Amino acid sequence: MPDVPVTEAQEQRVQGFVTAFQTLRAEVKKVIVGHDDVIGHVLAGLFAGGHVLLEGVPGLGKTLLIKTLAEGLELSFSRIQFTPDLMPGDIIGTNMIVEDADGRKHFQFQRGPIFAHILLADEINRATPKTQSALLEGMQEGCVTVSGVGHLLPAPFFVLATQNPIEMEGTYPLPEAQLDRFLFKLRVKYPALEQLVEIIDRTTRSREVDVRRVMTGAEVIGFRELIREVPIAGHVRDLASYLVLATHPQWERAPESTRRFVRYGASPRGAQALVLGAKVRALADGRYNVSTDDLRAMALPALRHRLILNFEGEAEGIDADRLLAELMEAAEQMATEGKEAFLR
Amino acid sequence: MGDASVLERLVADVIRQVRLRRAEFYGARGLLAGAIAGSMPLVFRETLGDLGYVLAAGLLLAGGLAGALYGFLLSVPVADAARIADRGYGLQDRVSTALEWGDRTDAGGLAGALVADAARRAEDVPRRRVVARRLPRSAKFIPVPLALGLALALAPPIPLPQGGLPNFSASTSDEDDEKDERVGKLEMDDRPKAAKRDPVTQRSEVQERTLTPRPGGGAPSQPGDLSALFKDTSLGGRAPDFNSFLKQGDERLKMLEQVDRLPDLAQDFTQRQSKMVFQKAKALQGGLNPGQFSPEKMRELLNEMERLGRRGGGSGGESGWGGDISEGMEALDQGQHDRAMQAMERALSKLRSMEDGGRDGKGLRGGREEAERRGAGRGRDRGAGQGGGMGDEGDFPEGEGSLPGRGTSPSAKGDATERLRGNPFDVGVEGEMRSGKKEGMDTNLVGKGVNMPSRLQYLGVIGQYRKMMEEAIAREQVPREYQEQVKGYFQSLDEK
Repeated sequence: MPDVPVTEAQEQRVQGFVTAFQTLRAEVKKVIVGHDDVIGHVLAGLFAGGHVLLEGVPGLGKTLLIKTLAEGLELSFSRIQFTPDLMPGDIIGTNMIVEDADGRKHFQFQRGPIFAHILLADEINRATPKTQSALLEGMQEGCVTVSGVGHLLPAPFFVLATQNPIEMEGTYPLPEAQLDRFLFKLRVKYPALEQLVEIIDRTTRSREVDVRRVMTGAEVIGFRELIREVPIAGHVRDLASYLVLATHPQWERAPESTRRFVRYGASPRGAQALVLGAKVRALADGRYNVSTDDLRAMALPALRHRLILNFEGEAEGIDADRLLAELMEAAEQMATEGKEAFLR
Repeated sequence: MGDASVLERLVADVIRQVRLRRAEFYGARGLLAGAIAGSMPLVFRETLGDLGYVLAAGLLLAGGLAGALYGFLLSVPVADAARIADRGYGLQDRVSTALEWGDRTDAGGLAGALVADAARRAEDVPRRRVVARRLPRSAKFIPVPLALGLALALAPPIPLPQGGLPNFSASTSDEDDEKDERVGKLEMDDRPKAAKRDPVTQRSEVQERTLTPRPGGGAPSQPGDLSALFKDTSLGGRAPDFNSFLKQGDERLKMLEQVDRLPDLAQDFTQRQSKMVFQKAKALQGGLNPGQFSPEKMRELLNEMERLGRRGGGSGGESGWGGDISEGMEALDQGQHDRAMQAMERALSKLRSMEDGGRDGKGLRGGREEAERRGAGRGRDRGAGQGGGMGDEGDFPEGEGSLPGRGTSPSAKGDATERLRGNPFDVGVEGEMRSGKKEGMDTNLVGKGVNMPSRLQYLGVIGQYRKMMEEAIAREQVPREYQEQVKGYFQSLDEK
């Protein structure tokens, strides 16, 4: 094996990331009780360079979590409450006639709330598809185009959207194309008993919690670059590929459950999300490599919203999370099939 | 860098463990094969003597050793071993990733830190067995051949069978003499020997058997019928004489070539052939639709009827159904299936009339009645008939032709046609929509009839509708918010 130069700088960079990650998490946890997984995945989405969709019933602290995260970062933050009458111009901005010092009138672009580092799109499924699609370009390209003129969004640009899964009256569920733009979809669940007691204690007293700003935008961008340097072994990468392909009913080796319940599987964007999330998790754990455990941990947030069930799947009430757990097992079997058959 | 050597040592240790486990695995397989092979020399210990023991032990050991050697020498890829090390020592894919990325020329970024970290952790883990023992499923059968071999070794040698197969060839007296010499005089004296007979006497006996039926052997044989040969079971009580057996076999084979003289075994031992013909004809008519009609079957049936006619004497000749059969065959050759069928029906009708006539009073028009009818002359019958009959045969008078209302049908009898609307459930057509009110009587209800709703075949259409619904939803024709309701509706139908 050829010698690979070991630089202390590498280890220090990794150590710096681990410290920053844990500090930011600690700041958020000052306000948010429980939801450790959700916080971890939101931070993973931030450092992986993607956007996160949080789904949960009202009152679970989704919006509070995002606001707290924004407070912990030295980044600009804006919040848009999505309503049915919200227009794309309300998000992106619009050209307005302004008068200069000479009294001449001309159009000037007035930036909308999308021009912020962290954008909270609250109850995103309440706006019309036209308005929802106003976010598409910004989320994917990092810029918006108004009247043929492109406007760059600030970096890092991080969209955190929330949606309520039970109040479906008067809502416009996100189309698949827009769902695919989100790196992760997280499900915020009810707190446990101890957590609920803690929430009551914290929120019913007149004690202000001070959230410190622990990370700058430049640091976030630096960590994003570091994340992409994390090595991944061939067999781990193969496992990710098998898992994504196992969601495709057209694939000749697709498991029976996929053929039966899935209409469309995850896109390559899903595989990217899976591996990037796994890299963040590995590095946050102080590891320099991606393990199969990282893939297992990130499979649900990265792929659950990319599985489109067919009629039978929906009629049977198939849960995407359970289906993905099955597919993970099937993918692991496929990845080791023919190899190490005797060794295991 | 010294760190990488730690990883290599760790992987080498795992490879060694894998080799040992594989040697155990394949050694067990080889042992089973060796044990099976080793029991063979013990079976032939009478011939091999003490060499059998040596061979058995040698094969057993050789099988086990060969298997173990094969397993030990199988290659173990380093990447696989590294993965086993990761799993076994809980290193979370550090070793496999470090080995892979350490070898890469484009390794940069965190690869160096990864190798150093992996080596540090590999050095810290205590060495232990990380490859679990696995034995083949067939290993549980190893005691069976071992026990068998042990039993064979302890038991006295098994005597092997000697001698050859008996000589079945036809032998002459000279050969018999030679056989006497070979087998030995004493043995020949003990053996029951068939008495030698004069060939002339033997032929007459055969002929006598041919012409004289055995009592209780079924219907009387016709002259020239060789069925007596087959009925003769007297050979069973005699001493085995292969020569006469072969001679009789030759005669039977010759007889089989004469198709017309074949004995009618069905008639003799099972049932009347005419009945079989009726059954076959009924089966043929039962499946008479254009797709299922088989000219071959019909030809076969006509042949059988013709043969039956010949066997029955004059009645099946030209004056009986012979003409009909000839006509049927001719029509069949010309491809006129309807005409052939009509001819066959006529022949069947005549055949049945003859059968009825032969029942002596049991039939409706048989025996005395038939005799009287015949004696009274045909004029009366002809007078009674009003249409053209089937001819002037005595057993099928005029007026009983196939015209409707003129007597019995000549076709084979079958079940009565079901009356139209005889079944209350057949009233109307399934799924047919009716306009207005319609009263129908339901025999299961007492009182006035009620409106009969149209009875769509529910199970027949629900699947079709469900499929249409699925397609509509798949094409997004149903708004998303209504999809749940639609699905719920169809699910509720399924539950019913």
